[in-house]
Parts: sequence; structure tokens; C-alpha cells
Amino acid sequence: MDNVMSEMFAYLTVLGETDIPRTVLAELRVIVGSENLRLAAGELAVYARDATPLFRGMPDAVIAPADAEQVARILRLATDHGIPVVPRGAGSNLCAGTVPLTGGMVLSTARMDRILEVAPGEMLARAEPGVSTMALNDAAAAHGLFYPPDPGSRTVSTIGGNVATCAGGLRGLKYGVTRNYVLGLTVVLPTGEIVRTGGRLWKDVAGYDLTRLITGSEGTLGVITEVTVALLPDPSASRTGLAYFDSLTQACRAVSGILAAGVIPSTLEFLDRSCMDAVEQYAHLGLHPGAGALLLFGDDGDEAIVARSFERIAAACQDSGAIGVQTAGDIAESEALLTARRCTLPALSRLGSLTILEDASVPRPRLAEMVARIDAIAARHRVTMATFGHAGDGNLHPTCVLASAEDTEGIARAERAFAEVFHTAIELGGTITGEHGVGAAKLPYLEQRLGSAQMDLIRRIKAAFDPAGILNPGKLGS
Amino acid sequence: MTSDKVPHAGSIFDPKLLSRCISCGFCLPACPTYALTADEASSPRGRINLMRALDSGMLPPDDPTLAEQASFCLGCRACEPVCPAGVQYGELLEQWRGFQWAGRRRPAAARFLIFAAERAWAHRIAGRLRGAAHTPAAASQHSLMLGCFERSLFPEVSRSALALAPELAVPRRQGCCGALHAHNGEPDRGRQLAVQLGAQLPGQIVTTSGGCAAHLSSVIGRDRVAELSEYLQNKVTGQVRMGDRQARVALQDSCHLRNGLDVWREPRTLLNTVAEYVELPGAARCCGAAGTYALVRPRDSRRVLDPKIDEIEAAGIDYVVAVNPGCLRQLRQGLRRRKSTVRALHIADFLRLAAG
Repeated sequence: MDNVMSEMFAYLTVLGETDIPRTVLAELRVIVGSENLRLAAGELAVYARDATPLFRGMPDAVIAPADAEQVARILRLATDHGIPVVPRGAGSNLCAGTVPLTGGMVLSTARMDRILEVAPGEMLARAEPGVSTMALNDAAAAHGLFYPPDPGSRTVSTIGGNVATCAGGLRGLKYGVTRNYVLGLTVVLPTGEIVRTGGRLWKDVAGYDLTRLITGSEGTLGVITEVTVALLPDPSASRTGLAYFDSLTQACRAVSGILAAGVIPSTLEFLDRSCMDAVEQYAHLGLHPGAGALLLFGDDGDEAIVARSFERIAAACQDSGAIGVQTAGDIAESEALLTARRCTLPALSRLGSLTILEDASVPRPRLAEMVARIDAIAARHRVTMATFGHAGDGNLHPTCVLASAEDTEGIARAERAFAEVFHTAIELGGTITGEHGVGAAKLPYLEQRLGSAQMDLIRRIKAAFDPAGILNPGKLGS
Repeated sequence: MTSDKVPHAGSIFDPKLLSRCISCGFCLPACPTYALTADEASSPRGRINLMRALDSGMLPPDDPTLAEQASFCLGCRACEPVCPAGVQYGELLEQWRGFQWAGRRRPAAARFLIFAAERAWAHRIAGRLRGAAHTPAAASQHSLMLGCFERSLFPEVSRSALALAPELAVPRRQGCCGALHAHNGEPDRGRQLAVQLGAQLPGQIVTTSGGCAAHLSSVIGRDRVAELSEYLQNKVTGQVRMGDRQARVALQDSCHLRNGLDVWREPRTLLNTVAEYVELPGAARCCGAAGTYALVRPRDSRRVLDPKIDEIEAAGIDYVVAVNPGCLRQLRQGLRRRKSTVRALHIADFLRLAAG
């Protein structure tokens, strides 16, 4: 106790203002050790934002616990004292899901970064939340397995963050998204209980499916401290190809053609001309200089099956008026194409210093119509919009590029345009976010999509998990 | 523009460069200091957010995190090739240190090294005493640059380089390229020295230091500068053998050579011609020498180096080759501490060994 008291007094002298009581800070230091509790202004400033533009909030503390037990003690304190806690993985999300809007603590999962197990016999892996998606996949690959969800940020993003946002990726069409692979979770509730949902079983219907509820709950229901995911056998062959079109609308028609031909490619992505220019500047791939859009397609599996789907994809593209079709020569070339696609968003920032991107999703047959409506909306609001996305999933990322982050008038026009994009997506039977999440960025539009009864239900669920409302306030359930 | 001016917040950074970063975080896995701490503040993205906080006045110039992170960064620029947005981090870091390390705030070790580098006459004398290469002022087309510290620390390197490329002119009268200044808070003086050196040496300047190559070409132009392994492409012969087998050799990249100039295939090609080349898993990762870093932050420098020495020990190699004198010094120290049997050599010395 003496130790705690002396540490407290040390704080009296060095600490600026914070909303966290000094006694609580002292207890937090005891829980994680002083080196894992950061309080200096500069140390906090870097946690004020994530990969989402225009949203920021200064935390009062950043804390990095080592295990579920420490997380439980932190959350219990936070609940007792009404201190907001914002869980954070790599901070690569695009919905302001980890911005501490109302201060409090940012809880970093960076120290919980062990892969606990890869069980080839059961085809599953167990990992702590701070493991990067890429590292998890590499560990699986060492056993001839793979973890299919591959969000664009997979080299950076953490598996905990992927589960919290139900991350998608380039292989969604054939393999689904994060929720299709989560078998079990260890979750610390805001009131301090540690619960294990699901487990290692493929069949298990004992109780509500809390694993699915927490997957995509964006850090508002509990803090994930362990993840069990299903793995698949690594396909023996994979190939990637490109088809060029005069317009994005034409590329969308090719998507329908490909799927109508009975092929489910592992990858079916599109980029419009502006996106192609940005990617070309970064990756120097020698993309067609005159095409208006490109479709990136890929498939994996048995060599003969891949060869046959490639023939059908190429034929469907030709039929839809492709001005050129190429297939990548080898794996390195394929990887270069996929890597370039994953980098589209950051590469777009070469065109202007502020990029605001959205994540609307529509039923596949409405894709061409949605693309045309986005063009019209952009023209009406006088904004430059570059569009890329997961064509096979009907998931579009229209991105507004503005010359300057200080252009408040331009930002206002972009926001009006995006409000219309969301409205249009819903009108076409789609949604306001396909894979990036709601966070703070899309919360204002959520009711449009869900209706008031569902919004109320979400709030009641949130209150059942988090009676004090400390976990990621200002996001889902708030 | 004098080198001692202290800019005020708001004028420290080129706004175009500072606004490029969109905080996507793709740089995080490439950063050696982030790997040590897993703390956002010691990542490239975090440091750019710190620079912005300084620029906007949100953090005062004397903020301790600013001082700590400006110095903790290795300046290896591994974040640049992985950045899809094309952020010029190295340039931003120079501007940041230009402010952060102005005058008395510069770490003492960096101050001392800059003081020493400025004494061109001392390097001339040291080079003469230590027997660094030189040629009479001939009408040669191209010249060999003698690094200021390399002349006394590793005089054999310039002799080997001259043996491999005897057509080069090596005047004794040549100053520092200014990389040391540019990376340690005197960007203006750094540019000035590079321009001077460019005027002193004729033709293409061949350098045995990756760090100097990157700085020099950023000032006097890429076409005036060739790093030794670039210059020697298709010009090496011979073999390095260990008894009846080829020697097994690995390379430690020079960060600025690789991340700044995209030169990394060239030394590998040469080594593969004269020996059995083995790629270390972390060959592209900084060794922790990082210019003045090994002296300014010796503890952190060793934390960065240790896993690399593990890799070298595990690789079953006879030699590890460096393309920069700072890396060579760092590797030798690390290997000596471990009592390793692997020898660290500069690429010039290794190629000369092959030529016999």
C-alpha cells in the first residue's frame, strides 16, 4: 500500500489534468506495471485517431494489459468509476471505431500477441487478439493450411480487430468473411467476468450464438482476449488475371456474366480509372493506360479446375466487351497484383491529401446501377469520387479525394454526397457498410438501415453487457 | 539560410510532405522501433502524428515525447518502400530533427561527430597515416569517394575498392558528404557539403557507403552517384572458397541504399557470382548502426542488433557482408561480443578476396 501511495504522490507532481482519478491511476499501474500505462500528452496524442480521417479524441490514458486477467481488473475499475475504455488493435479500421471520442482509456491489445496453437488435425488455430492477420495466416501455412479472410490491411490488422469488426477482404465471394471462421472467443465483459463462447467445435448449439454476436460488435460488448478460428487446406494452385473495360459499368456487367457462367472466383475486384492511376504510381505494374476500368479476378483450388474457371472468366469478360484480358504468369506476379489492389486506398491519397472512403454494399444484380448512380451523385455535388471494391460481393468503396484537409466546404459537399450514396444503397436493397463497420463514422446513418425497433434492441443488448456504458461509448449501442 | 536558424512551430515541415500520410498503418510492421515497443508513438505513423501535433502547436516544442521519439527513430526509412501513399518519411525526419536538435538540444555524441566530420584536414591526415587509398590528381573520368570516418576506421576498404576499379581517381582533398549533418539536425549544412563534394570530385562519384550514396544523390542528382556494387556490376571475377567448397556469404543491406535508392539486387548479384549467397530473413532490416544511433542510443542499438546476430549465427555462413562502414562496425562489434566465427567484411574487401 505504501508503494501505491508513493506512486500516487509521484503523479501529483508530473501529471497534467486527466479525468481519471489518481487513486485509479495508481491501481492501474499496479495491474499492468508503470511501463504499460502511458499518460504523457505526446504518448496520448498518437492514440487520438485511427485510419479514419476527420475523427479524433484525446484519451486520458493508454493501457496495454498482458492477459485476460489484467483486462478484467481494468474493466472492473472502469465500470466502478465510469471511465470509458476503447479497445484498440492496430488502429487500421476505417470507421473511427477506435477513436476515444469521450476520453478515458485506450486499451491496446499489442502485448497480447501470441499464437497459442495451430491444430492441423482439427483444422483450427487459437491466438491472442494482438496477432496480425498475416502472422496467423503464415502460422497456418506452415501446416499446409490457410486462414481465408484477408482484409486489405492484413499485414497490419490484428485478428482481434478483425473479429471485432467482422472484417471482409478480397476472398469474400468464395470464402466468406471473418464471422464464417470464428469458432470460439474468450471475452472479458465490462463488469469483469471472463466468458468463453463457442470453442473448438464445428457443431455446438448450446445457448444463444454469442460468438456471432460479439463478432462485429466493434468493441462495445466486451474485450476479446482469445480467438479460435477455423482453417482450410491451402489450395494447391491459385491464379490471378486482369480484364480491362471502357467503363466501370461494363466491368459490372462482366461480373454478372462470370457468376452466371457458374464460376465462383476467389477474387473479383474492380478499380476505376482514377484508382488504376493511383495504384500504377505506387506499384508500376504496367496497367492498361487507356482503359476506363479493370476487373481483377482470381481463383484457387485444383490446377485443372482453376484452368477451367479461367477459361470461363475470360470468355465472360470478352462477351461483356473487355478490351483486353491478361493472366499473371506466376505466383509472384499474382501476388503483386493482389498487393496492389490491397493498397488502393492509401495509394489514392497520392491524388489529394484527404481521402474519405465509404463502404456501401448492394445486391450483386444492382451493382451496375449503383455505380451509375454514384457517378451521378458525385457530379451533382461537384466532388471527385474514385471507386474500387469487391465487385463479386457487391461491395463498393467510393472514395472522395480532396486536395486539402482544411477544405471544410469540400468536406461538407463530400458528406452530402455520401449521405445520398447511403440512401441509394438502402433503396437498392443494400447496406451502409459492407465490411468496414459502423464505428462513430456511420452511426448517424444506422437507423436508416435498421429501423427504430432494431436500434432499441441493440441498445438493450448493449445495456445487458455493459450496464455502466463504459465500453467504446459513442459507437454501436450508444 | 543559415544552418543554425531555429524554425518556429508551423514552419518546421513542408506541409505537402506532412499531409501525405493518411494513417493507414501499413508502415507499422516495417518499423524496427515499433517492433521493440508495440507502442504507436514509436511507429512511423505515430511519429508523423507527433510531427503534426508539434506543427499545429498542440504539443509544445519542449514536449518530452517529441524529444524522445525524434531520437528513438533509427531513421532507417524502412517505412518508405511499404508506404502506398508515398510519404517521404526520411525527409520529414530531417526537418523534424532540424528543429528538435537545433543547437544545444542535439545529443552530445551527434554534436561530437559533426564537429569531427567538419575537420576535413584531420581526415586527410588520418587517411594518410592509416594508408587509405589515393591517386595523383589524374584526368580520370570518375572518382572514388573516401568516407570521412571510413578513412581512419577502415582504410583497407578504399584500397580494395581501388584495386577492383583502378581507373578511379582518388584525390586526398575531399570533404564530408554531409549525410551526418542532414540526419542529425543540420539539413542545410548537409546539402551545402554535398554540393561542395560534388564540385571537388570529377565525374561519377563512386562510394563505398550506402548512406553517403543516398544523401549525395538526393542533393547532386542520382546520375552523379554510384554505390560501389552498382559500379562493379559485370566487372567482378574470382571465387571465395573455404577449403574445397565455395564460401557461404550473407548480406546486410544498407538501409538508405535499399530504402532510399532501391539498390539491393546489385550487391546480391555480385556476391552470388563469387560465392554461395545466403539470404538472411532480416537482411533488409536495420542493424542498429543507423549513422550516429549506435553512439547516441547504444542500448537501443544493441536491442535492434541482437536478433540479427542470432540470424547470422543460425544461417551457417562464413561471411556477412556490409555495404556501409557503419553497418560493418556494428556487425563486427556484435559478432565479437558473441565470440562468433562468422567474419564481417565490407563488400569491397570480400570482392577483392575473390579476385585474389
